[in-house]
Amino acid sequence: MIDGWKHWILVGVAVLGGCATLPPGETPVDSAPVSENTAVAALVSQARADLDAGRRSNAAAALERALRIEPRNAALWRELAKVRLADGRYDQAEQLAAKSNSFAGSDRALRAANFRLIADARAARGDTAGAQSALDHARELAR
Amino acid sequence: MSTYRFRRLNAAVARFAALARSSWRALRGQPLRIAALLGVLLLSAYLLYLDFTVRDAFEGKKFALPARVYARALEVYPGAKISLNDFTGELARLAYRESPEPREPGTFRRELQAIELTTREFQFWDGPQPSRTLRVRFDGKRVSAVNGPGEGKAAVDIVRIEPPLIGGIYPGHNEDRALLRLDQVPPALIEALIAVEDRKFYEHWGVDPRGLARAAYKTVTGQGVQGGSTITQQLVKNFFLTPERTLTRKFNEMLMSFLLELHYDKNEILETYINEIYLGQDANRAIHGFGLASHFYFDRPLEQLELHQLALLVAMVKGPSYYDPRRHPERALARRNLVLQELARHERISQEQFIAHKNQPLGVVPRAPVGTSAYPAFLQLVYRQLRRDYQESDLRSEGLKVFTTLDPQAQALAETALARRLAELERIHRLPAKSLEAALVVTSTQHGEVQALVGGRDPRFSGFNRALDAERPVGSLVKPAVYLAALEQPEQYTLATLLDDSKLVLRQRGTDDWEPKNYDKQFHGEVPLRLALVHSYNVSTARLGLALGVDLVVDRLERLGVDRRLTAHASSVLGTNALSPYEVAQIYQTIADGGFRTPLRAIREITTADGRPLQRYPLRVEQVASAAPVYLLTRALQDVVSEGTGVGLAQYLPAAELGIAGKTGTTDGLRDSWFAGFSGDHVAVAWIGRDDNQPTGLTGASGAMTVWGMLMAQLDPEPMLPAAPEGVEVVWIDPATRLRGDAKCEGAIELPFIKGSAPRETAACAGAVTKTKGWFRRLFE
Repeated sequence: MIDGWKHWILVGVAVLGGCATLPPGETPVDSAPVSENTAVAALVSQARADLDAGRRSNAAAALERALRIEPRNAALWRELAKVRLADGRYDQAEQLAAKSNSFAGSDRALRAANFRLIADARAARGDTAGAQSALDHARELAR
Repeated sequence: MSTYRFRRLNAAVARFAALARSSWRALRGQPLRIAALLGVLLLSAYLLYLDFTVRDAFEGKKFALPARVYARALEVYPGAKISLNDFTGELARLAYRESPEPREPGTFRRELQAIELTTREFQFWDGPQPSRTLRVRFDGKRVSAVNGPGEGKAAVDIVRIEPPLIGGIYPGHNEDRALLRLDQVPPALIEALIAVEDRKFYEHWGVDPRGLARAAYKTVTGQGVQGGSTITQQLVKNFFLTPERTLTRKFNEMLMSFLLELHYDKNEILETYINEIYLGQDANRAIHGFGLASHFYFDRPLEQLELHQLALLVAMVKGPSYYDPRRHPERALARRNLVLQELARHERISQEQFIAHKNQPLGVVPRAPVGTSAYPAFLQLVYRQLRRDYQESDLRSEGLKVFTTLDPQAQALAETALARRLAELERIHRLPAKSLEAALVVTSTQHGEVQALVGGRDPRFSGFNRALDAERPVGSLVKPAVYLAALEQPEQYTLATLLDDSKLVLRQRGTDDWEPKNYDKQFHGEVPLRLALVHSYNVSTARLGLALGVDLVVDRLERLGVDRRLTAHASSVLGTNALSPYEVAQIYQTIADGGFRTPLRAIREITTADGRPLQRYPLRVEQVASAAPVYLLTRALQDVVSEGTGVGLAQYLPAAELGIAGKTGTTDGLRDSWFAGFSGDHVAVAWIGRDDNQPTGLTGASGAMTVWGMLMAQLDPEPMLPAAPEGVEVVWIDPATRLRGDAKCEGAIELPFIKGSAPRETAACAGAVTKTKGWFRRLFE
């Protein structure tokens, strides 16, 4: 029971943790352009449109095409993690966010955003302690 | 059933009933009544039997549409790594035609630095892509611009060229049929067939009375039982192929043809005919259907044949052995031209077309290709991955479209590199010709997509697939698992930790003593961990593996990429476990990808025959090893190539500058020669050995690595630039004291360490300032 409401509070914190002025799940990181490459940018726009229209498989397919062009683009891996999160595939969302972090280098804001996504995924799975630890990580990076 | 056929069936039934009723009345009161009734019953039973037989035969053929398998679609965008020649090669695979004004789908014009083309419409997994006219400009190895047609010439961000068809999964035991749907059959073929074989096809009821009369006349006048067969009759005859030509047989064929026409419409009959008709013989293999015949005679799919080639196939229907274009080219040519003449006479083609095509040579390939796919090894992999999710019968009959990851260009380069190097190795090492066998697997580093797979030195042979099924001891290829297990314990092991490379004898009760040896038969005393891997020392590695625990090492190996339980022996730490090249590729994939395991996949998407999305095989990742120890391992594997057992790669490409990481593997008695490695964009594994498991005389470096190098040089790889993950620091090490040093220390090198694991003391050779700093730091730590 307690776990239940804790979980929802954490989801709330995780969502609000991004930025109060942006829609849920969005962070300032996500308004930055994902790539300079016009092909990748076009595929990301297409993926976002697909995601908005609920065509999550198509969104994922477009992002995979983009990743074949820029396999080391941390922001692209994050986009795919977001699609998986929307898809309810929390385990893959977490793994892909971790993969995004492996290419994020010194971009602390992106890494923090990814840890918040990991927190969301863990909270949704009911892993409260894990979500808390990811949030701590995110806060550490945001400092 | 269509209303049209319903009406015909009803009409036939009514006519039959009327006939029965009238005979009944005529025979009323006669004793013959019972006999007649019996006769009608018997005839009905016989008709029913024939009906059942012919429908069974028809259904058995008709609904078997094989899954069609496609290579990856080439993505064209500004900056794409495609040269003008690569692009032309892709268009050749897709049978694009050169045209001065390429506005028709499937045509192109080549210029000095650009190609203008019109793509064909294609139903991709995520929707249809209409035909587009494009102008693609090239700058050396890359695409520099993609534009649309017309005045504006709007820039195009990205476009997919339709993917090449690479094969199918066919019904029957031998995987070599090329079934076609009617809409895939060139209209010219259908017109020619009807003009030559059965002009009244769309009008008759399975039997053509005039043709029949002619045939009957010839039979009665002793000119032989022959001719007069409609397409439907030919189809029926083809179902029950026997050389027998009696009147009873002919009569049965007529009845069955009539019955077929009652049940099926003309298009269904024609489609089945096109897929079923006998068109030649290849040793024990009968060539049935125009699709397969097209591959057999022209080595091209039917859709890509020219008019005179289609005419030749139609010409052969009359007698595939009599008109065999390989054995009797003159007869075949004469009959082909007769077919063309018929087409011209019925104004299906113009006089100009007739003359142009009449003067063409037969165009038959001298030797029939083996099977219908050029990629049997890759198709085997696709088939196995499909079998996990689909029934065999669905794969062979539902006409699924399978979109795969195969890169035909990488595949061609892999086949060439392998064939060339094997021949050279046999010559240089004075080995019997064709004694060596080999396998190659190429995947994309961050996505685990299988781009090329070669299962043996004859890549067209669809038998034993060594890339998937040859499980061989991996030798030193196992070492990264040992060293990863060590580096995951930074408090115990760093790249600078000294290992003991002195004589080792392992005594275990119940087994022989185990005494590992180095390849150079020497012992090397104390060696830094990094160099033990770089020079592939066995003794120190064995001691390290045993100290870590055999179970831990085997567990690491399994986690990196083996989907089955391996047995753990002491010698497992030196690679006595047998793995397939494909499994090895999975292991190195995980290392190349920073500890993220991405299951290798050959399939991206599947749609139904009409393009409805059915299933996607998404990219999946799973972190199975921490980034920091994998990074340290990768750096050491790069040193293998820049200063260790892999330096020979430099003969093929600037491997050290590209940061290529890899590992050689050689097994006892030089039976297996391995090399596994990766660049920024490709992971590849090469194996060379003999099928009878006899020694090859090759080490990993002298054998498999040379194939790998030749291939990788052709692939023009991206550099491997692993970014140091969080928690890794780079420290100068003085080799003499193994303490912290700086650039001033002789032979000092920079090594990555997991934070907190680097030596704390500073060597005397390091500058005084650094020393003070070190001393200061220690004060506060």
